[in-house]
This record gives sequence, structure tokens and C-alpha cells, in this order.
Amino acid sequence: MLASSAQRKSERRPPRGRSAALRRAVLAVLVLGALALLTISFRSPTSGALHDAQGYGASALRPFQVAATRVARPFRDAYGYVSSLTSAKSKNAKLHREVSYYQALALKNLAAAKENASLKRLLDYEQGPAYPKDYHAVNASVISFPSGPFDQQITISAGSNRGLRVNTPIVSADGLVGRVTNVGRVTATVALLTDPDSVVAARDLTTKVFGLIRHGQGNTLILDQVAKDEVVNRGDVIVTQGTRDRRYPDLYPYGIPVGQVISVGTSDIATYRTVQVAPFAKLTGLDAVAALIPTKASKLP
Amino acid sequence: MTIVDGLKAAVLLFVAAIVQVSILTQIHVLHGVPDVLLVTLVAVALLRGAIVGAVGGFFAGLLVDTATLGQLGLTSLVLTVAGYWIGRYGETTGQDRAHAPFLSVGVVTILYGFGLLLVHFVLGEPAPAGAMLEGLVPAIVLNLVLTAPVYAVVRRLLRAFERSDVATEVQLLG
Repeated sequence: MLASSAQRKSERRPPRGRSAALRRAVLAVLVLGALALLTISFRSPTSGALHDAQGYGASALRPFQVAATRVARPFRDAYGYVSSLTSAKSKNAKLHREVSYYQALALKNLAAAKENASLKRLLDYEQGPAYPKDYHAVNASVISFPSGPFDQQITISAGSNRGLRVNTPIVSADGLVGRVTNVGRVTATVALLTDPDSVVAARDLTTKVFGLIRHGQGNTLILDQVAKDEVVNRGDVIVTQGTRDRRYPDLYPYGIPVGQVISVGTSDIATYRTVQVAPFAKLTGLDAVAALIPTKASKLP
Repeated sequence: MTIVDGLKAAVLLFVAAIVQVSILTQIHVLHGVPDVLLVTLVAVALLRGAIVGAVGGFFAGLLVDTATLGQLGLTSLVLTVAGYWIGRYGETTGQDRAHAPFLSVGVVTILYGFGLLLVHFVLGEPAPAGAMLEGLVPAIVLNLVLTAPVYAVVRRLLRAFERSDVATEVQLLG
């Protein structure tokens, strides 16, 4: 029975060997056909009969594609809506991070622009006629500011590696700032003019009256040791005195602008005049300063 | 296989190709793109054997390359081999096994991706293996999701092989 069944089947179907051969032949023909198409289209991708036929085929398929796109549009829109909702949270977080980053960048650029302006003014001062002779400038950024009312010192980004020493004068584009009180290899501490221990020999540029600049109330200075019979007028410019006798060299070179007289007072019981001076240098908002390094060795006392 | 079955298979593959090039290529889920044409071809090849799989793969690939104005023969080559191989699997060990469509789709998705990559590489065209690998796992998952409904539709339209169609000859010994 099995034999007769097998016999009937074998009448309808090709023998197994023929079936396998046919299968392989079809595969071989199709693969060769694909390779032939690939070769032709690769060799002439923009011209030729095959390219033209492809163009006609694409044109024929275009209506079907358009129809499919139109049918799918509502679904695609819905998918896009849902997809955008799910990604909204992560996008929001990403945008927040970007905003923070660009805010920080903007602040950094602003600070750089401000420092650039300060450095430019400093450069103008260093190349101007008021700059003291026999000194060269070492420019530095202010990297820390006074931490409180009792601390009148700043830290600058230059130290002994660039020639700074204790008592090196520090100036800004506006005028005298102070002097170095402590030096590290790459940083230095500067006592401002408003420091209680700061004393600067100075003179009135107009009347040539000598005095000592000390700290006053608030951010002002006082021109001390001015006798009552000497004349100092409101608005006069005060500059550093400089060395008058080589045996007693001064810390500061002559002629560095210190400030402007804002009031002159006299009292019966006081020995000296009370001369208030507003410093030219903005001691609370310094960005860039210059250290005055003498070009001749051991100039500083 | 009758002429009607052949027409049904052709229509199925045509619709799948149009849907693929017009709609599904725009859907990217975690860098993966679902391939309904590949899934349909797998279903047809499993139900109709190696020759139908190879012929269907060839013409479906031709359709895709024509519609996208791509390199003619490129997709055909890969789909022909894929259809033939899945067809042989359906005629032999994959016959009547419930997991056969899913296994076939998973494996063919991987081989199809690497096959296209290889052909592009051989032709000297850009073959970004990193991008392909990045989207491979999501593509497998998406294709597996499509497998059940697509296979059910194809199975309904193309009747399954009758036992007599696939039974090999019985040879009496002795």
C-alpha cells in the first residue's frame, strides 16, 4: 500500500534529484541575474537602458507610494506626537543643561572681556609718559580679593618666577594699588593702599607739598603729616614721592598717581591738616594689575 | 503551488515593499527600522518553499531598488539568498514548528543586515558597520513584533502546505 501511494506521488511530483537540481538552478539564475543587474547599474549609474527602465519603474510605483504615504499620514502624525511626548522630558533636561553651560560660557566671556579692557588700559598706561623709567611691568590677574573689611589684601597671578619680590610696587591703569607683602613661586599677596599698615610717601603735584598716604575711613585715604601752613587744595592730584636721597631709597618710584584730594580740613587742636584723598585705583574691583620690576638689580630696599 | 497562490504571494510582497519604502523607513525606534518586507518574505518562503522564497526575494528586492532609485540588484541579491535559505528551512527542519517564523525572522534580520553591509563594502560604497550594529537589536525586536500578525495574514492568504505536497517519497526496503 505504501508502495502504491509512493508510486502515485511520484507520478505527480518530479523526482527528488530533479527537484533539487531545479531549485539550485533557479537560485543560480536569480543570483546571477542580481549580480548582472548590480554590475550594469554600478558601471553606468546615471545613464543607459537599465537606468531609464528604473526611472520608468519608479514613476510607475510613485502613485502607490503616494497613496501609502497618505494612508499612513495620520498614523505617522500620531506616532510623531507620542514620540515627541516621550522624548520631551529628556529633551527638556538636555536643554536645561545646555542653558546652564551657555550661561557659564557667557559669564566667562564677559569676565574675559572685562579683563581684556583692564589689560588694554594697563598697556596704555605702561606705554604712556606717566610710566616710571627704569621699571618694566609684569602683568598679572587678580585671583582673590579681600575676604572682608579687616583684610585689605589681594592675591595676584605672578610670583617669584616672574621677578616679584617683597615690597614690589603694584599699579593698575588708574594708579597705585599697593605693594607685595608675600611672594610665592607663581602668586603673590599684595597689601592695598587701604591696608592699615600701608604708608606711602606722596606729594601734591600742584603745590609740591609732601605727606604720607595712610588708610582713612571707608575706601578713602589720608595725606598725613601736612603742616597747617602748607597749602593743599581740593582737587589736587597726589602722586608718589619717590627716592629723593639715594641713601634712603623709597619703595615706590616717583610720579605714580595715587589719588585726588576730596577735602581739606583744619582744627585748632590738631598738629596737621586733615587731607582726604580718593584713590584713583578702584581697589574693590581690580581685574588686572602690573608689578613694577626694577630693571637695575637691588633697586628695591 | 497554484497560479492564484503565486499571485497572492506577489501582491503580498508588492504591498509589503510599498509599505516598507513609503512608510516604515521613516520610523526609527532607537536607531532601528522595522522591515515588514523581510518579515513577509520570510512568511512566504516558510509557507511556499525555497524556489518561491528566492523568486519572491529577487523581485521584491528589484521593487525596492526601483522605487528608491537605488543600486539595481543590490537588495535583490541579498533577499534572493535570504528567501531561498528560509524556504529550505521551511521545507525541512522548520516544518510545522511554531517557533520557526520567529527564529527565521531573528536570524534573517541579522544576516540581511550583514549581507547588505558586505555588498556595500564590496562595491566600495559607504558601509557604516557601527550604525548598522547600533540599530540591529532594535530592528530584530521590531521585526519579531511584526512577525506574528504578518505570518498570520500570509498563512491565511496562502494555504499551508498540504502534507502530500511536502511528503517525500517512501521507499520500501527489502
